[in-house]
Amino acid sequence: MANPMVTIHNTETNEIIEREMTAQEFAAYNAEENAEIARVAAIAKATTDKTALLAKLGITADEAKLLLS
Amino acid sequence: MAKQTFTTGQVLTAAQMTSLQQTAMGGGSTTAKTTSYVLVAADAGTVVQMNAAGATTITVNTALFSAGDTVQIQNVGAGVLTITAGTATVSTSATLALKQYDAGTLYFNTTSAAFFFAVDAADSPLTTKGDLYTYSTVNDRLAVGTNAQVLTADSTAATGLKWATPAASGSMTLLSTTTLSSTSTTISGISAAYQDLLILVYGKTNSGANGSFYLKPNDGAVTLVELNTNTSVISYTADPLYLRNDTYAVDATSAVNSYQILIRNYANTVAYKPFTASGAYTSDRPGIDPWFSNGAVKTNSAISSLVFYITGGGSFTAGTVKVYGVN
Repeated sequence: MANPMVTIHNTETNEIIEREMTAQEFAAYNAEENAEIARVAAIAKATTDKTALLAKLGITADEAKLLLS
Repeated sequence: MAKQTFTTGQVLTAAQMTSLQQTAMGGGSTTAKTTSYVLVAADAGTVVQMNAAGATTITVNTALFSAGDTVQIQNVGAGVLTITAGTATVSTSATLALKQYDAGTLYFNTTSAAFFFAVDAADSPLTTKGDLYTYSTVNDRLAVGTNAQVLTADSTAATGLKWATPAASGSMTLLSTTTLSSTSTTISGISAAYQDLLILVYGKTNSGANGSFYLKPNDGAVTLVELNTNTSVISYTADPLYLRNDTYAVDATSAVNSYQILIRNYANTVAYKPFTASGAYTSDRPGIDPWFSNGAVKTNSAISSLVFYITGGGSFTAGTVKVYGVN
């Protein structure tokens, strides 16, 4: 399968070229995407965990804030 | 007539009376000159009229004239006539360089000190459209500047004034307009000739799933230190600048999104580059989500390229990036 394409617009010459990502670029792109997925998932998990904990304690988020203030 | 010494009982002729009358009325006999001339005692009470195509002088020396004597000086030639202090002093509030048809009266206050009283046109140095009447140590001319220049005080200039082109300030120059395409779009060759970079992005759509849309200045050779709208920590470090908040992904098909990113001091090669960014986008909840981010591009290099990426396995299908140089 071909790598994703990249577009490069040179503002000095106004030349626009399209080419495939190099293997190195594709690896960096995948790594970034995986890191982002993991980061977003971690945030989502933290939110879920917080909601579950609040339910377990039987208090609301505002009440939790009041408790910690 | 030239100055006379009358004696008791002398009878004046009609011609002498006419000449005296002319002198009294500001005229009098005229001595025509065509080359530079040194005043002599007999010029007292007469008109010395220069008529030469080239520059000439009239020199004033001491011990020739009595206090109260006058000599009228006229220049009817095309060449500039300059009244020159020889051994006498000549003072004036005007110029001693007389253009064609300038004139004035040389009045001897003492035998060695004369005043030159110019008639009105004699002291104007203006010659050309747009000239300004200024002063150096004498009345002086400041030629008009070029279009769009402004008059500026300059103590090193002879007249204390000069025309200067105003420095550009607060102006924005559109450097490029780029349509987002492929999985990444690079905008390269960004001029370093400006103070700040303003980047406007709008109307982004992509062919893949809802996901993230991010920017890497200098293509990831840098990192960002940012405070993001949905991040609870004060300092957050990530490689790219994500144009989304942490909770909701960017809707792939909605073009209702718009962002602005201002990078200060982007061409500096010593310091980090602070940035502020904000915008709003259609998210996958669905709904319109605001977004902002502040921080710094953590690089000592000038920013010469911007790379936009889309995640989710697809490509950009639309979107515009405008890059402005700001001074």
